[in-house]
Amino acid sequence: MLDSLFDDVKRMNKRQFIYQVLSFGMIVSSALMIWKGLMVVTGSESPIVVVLSGSMEPAFHRGDLLFLTNYPDEPVRVGEIVVFKVEGRDIPIVHRVLKLHEKNNGTVKFLTKGDNNSVDDRGLYAQGQLWLTKKDVVGRTRGFLPYVGMVTIYMNEYPKFKFAVLACLAIYVLVHRE
Amino acid sequence: MVNETPEVVKINKWDGAAAKNAIDDAIREVFTGELKCKESFALIDGRLFLCALAVGVALYALLWDYLYPFPQSKLVLIICVSSYFILMSILTLYTTFKEKGIFVVAKEKTGNNSRVWEASSYVKKHDDKYSLVLVMRDANGKTREATVNKSFANYIDNNGTVVQSVIVNEITKLYNSLSSEKKEK
Repeated sequence: MLDSLFDDVKRMNKRQFIYQVLSFGMIVSSALMIWKGLMVVTGSESPIVVVLSGSMEPAFHRGDLLFLTNYPDEPVRVGEIVVFKVEGRDIPIVHRVLKLHEKNNGTVKFLTKGDNNSVDDRGLYAQGQLWLTKKDVVGRTRGFLPYVGMVTIYMNEYPKFKFAVLACLAIYVLVHRE
Repeated sequence: MVNETPEVVKINKWDGAAAKNAIDDAIREVFTGELKCKESFALIDGRLFLCALAVGVALYALLWDYLYPFPQSKLVLIICVSSYFILMSILTLYTTFKEKGIFVVAKEKTGNNSRVWEASSYVKKHDDKYSLVLVMRDANGKTREATVNKSFANYIDNNGTVVQSVIVNEITKLYNSLSSEKKEK
């Protein structure tokens, strides 16, 4: 059975095989280029994120998909929900801006807090950091799709399952002609 | 010994794409084997080049974005993303208007005459008819065309094996009719 799975590949000549590999490469690169294109359009290094915790309930729940933009000339305002990175943490955080100081030259520093948390985020920031600045911001929330991101959360919780699914898809595309 | 027993190709005969590919391959073999033509790869190489270029552009964008994280890499990303999608549209145009399903281009030299044979095939979805279009181009730029519309059952037996002898007959018949038509004129 397994032998017949690779029959298609075995019968290919050199050019057909190269094309097979390239068309697999094009599937991957199309996804990549769409992502990079979104990055350019939105100005955010990560234009779509998934909410991982319940700290913003009832605004966002675990698994919600957020769309971000990060245009440099749009000022950050109190009450906006921003996604920011903190040194020493891999995963960006989605929280609301609580306090904000703005200087005449345009530089800002601000403090955030999760709607569902009882205290502000100073405990989450890097040691000694009291404020966030513009360079910490990944993006500002512009829209959301509820619960769609649950798939990604499950995938990340069971990495073996994720790799199995990806490997199956890759083999299917590589082995199947057209 | 290698030439005595042609490799038996067995496929899942209910898989339309696999059946089409197997017959295409068999026809290619007839041209390069029995009819002693030389296969020309220019058409398929053009497509491979476009694909490789597109994948290369994507890889370059990935590498550049990794070396110079996002806000810095913006210009390069804009260039790469737009050229990638332009390349993809060129590729689509190339396959639909230039390749048009041609799976073999065979060059034939007989004395001073050189002729080019192009074979293309298509199968409608959920249909058992395999349509083969054979185009002959001679040195003067004249083209002649023949089409055969037959069921897969003509070329593939009950077990899913491609019957090479039937294909050889079919192709030589077409080959001869297209060649002789030329003489009549």
